[in-house]
Amino acid sequence: MTPYALYAAGLIGAIGLYLLMRPSDTPGGTQTRILGTLIGLAGVAFMFVEVLSRASAYTLSDGSPLSTAFGGMPVPSVILGMAAIAAATRMVTHQKPVYAALYFILVVVSTAGLFLTLQAEFMAFALIIVYAGAILITYMFVLMLAHQSPSSPDIGSGWGGDVEGGTRYDRVPREPFVAVLIGFGVLASLSHAYFVDNAQLQVKPSDAAVATANADLWHSLETMPRRLKAEVKRVVPDMVGEPIAVDGQLIQVRDGKATVRVMVGDQPRDVTLPDTAQPTNTQEVGLALVSSFPASLELASVILLMAMFGAVVLARKQIEIGEDERRDAAGMRRLSVEDPEMVRDAARGGRS
Amino acid sequence: MTHSMAQPMIQLLAEGGVTAPSLPLIHATLFVSVVLFSIGMIGFLTRRNMIMMFLCTELMLQAACLAFVAFGRLHMDVSGQVMVIFVLTVAAAEAALALGLVVLLYRKKETLSSEAWSELREDVK
Repeated sequence: MTPYALYAAGLIGAIGLYLLMRPSDTPGGTQTRILGTLIGLAGVAFMFVEVLSRASAYTLSDGSPLSTAFGGMPVPSVILGMAAIAAATRMVTHQKPVYAALYFILVVVSTAGLFLTLQAEFMAFALIIVYAGAILITYMFVLMLAHQSPSSPDIGSGWGGDVEGGTRYDRVPREPFVAVLIGFGVLASLSHAYFVDNAQLQVKPSDAAVATANADLWHSLETMPRRLKAEVKRVVPDMVGEPIAVDGQLIQVRDGKATVRVMVGDQPRDVTLPDTAQPTNTQEVGLALVSSFPASLELASVILLMAMFGAVVLARKQIEIGEDERRDAAGMRRLSVEDPEMVRDAARGGRS
Repeated sequence: MTHSMAQPMIQLLAEGGVTAPSLPLIHATLFVSVVLFSIGMIGFLTRRNMIMMFLCTELMLQAACLAFVAFGRLHMDVSGQVMVIFVLTVAAAEAALALGLVVLLYRKKETLSSEAWSELREDVK
């Protein structure tokens, strides 16, 4: 399969985006934007179909096609992805920054939905809370703070006196053709890197790899002794003492099932843990954060601290310290220029 | 064939435990990430409003987060999701500092247009 269809679809999408960037108050602008929407939508849909057909055309090592082995197409991902792309396009082309920020929230929500399909539940909700809840509100604050007054020279100049349409620099894009060309170059090269001849992305992880990942997940429960004991107690309420290590490991994983050896009465017994005892996604992320990336975690806190200092320094009102204030601080008399007599005295070099 | 029909068409949340990723799902997500990144770059180049330019870099960060999580799912490794936490940290720090700078610049010239500051560049002869 040649990748040219992929690039052609990307080019169609790029043309659509270019047409979408025409200001709507130029002659025929609205029609151009509608046409651009349709062309861009067609281009993105074409690319989606192309990517998915390429993905399902790969075969497993035993020769069976992937699409039957994985239960069809990722319908939620396609819907959420189209929503994200449409909202991002609208954000880039919208003439009012406040609306653009609201469209960015839509992108964030769609991305969070995509995270859910990828089994990243914690990150999905963290994204909504941190991005849509905190960062975007900061952007909104600054947008409101820096609102252009209607008397500003930026308003209404250019095409017609449409004050409601926002400022001139928001309505007229800068070098849209060159930008779309560069964007298409990025799109084509990234698509090539991902979807053409990328062996890593064409091979489904083997059953052995899945089993290893599953065993790793079970073994991470060993680092949470209190939870492990609670889970075992739920199965065997009359256990005595702590779980006993076998071959240096508290948990033995065989065929995807985890067993723990505990003392019941004075007899050791192997207890099989239920699937619900596996660490949740939040626990996994937290464990990886503090056990695999402790130095990065410390660095992140330093970055946040420095950003806080920086924001305080930047936002502080600059106070001009002139000669008078310095003399006040030193307990000396002001060289005020308001009193004409004193100015004359000072010019004469006299003391008073 | 009956095996594939038995699987649900729409499966949003997994029932728990590590399962093999679906390759079409990974590809669709990576494709969305690629398109979002390109749109973010186009937006950064075309918008003249300084706040909008920063918002477009946030869009590119989103695309990178999506790729991180997709590759993490492909390799059944949680590190990709941990990276998203760090990206969120940097994005928050960037938003605080960049917006502080933008407010300072707005106070000086009463406009958000990035071209108001074009005198900062070198003289083009």
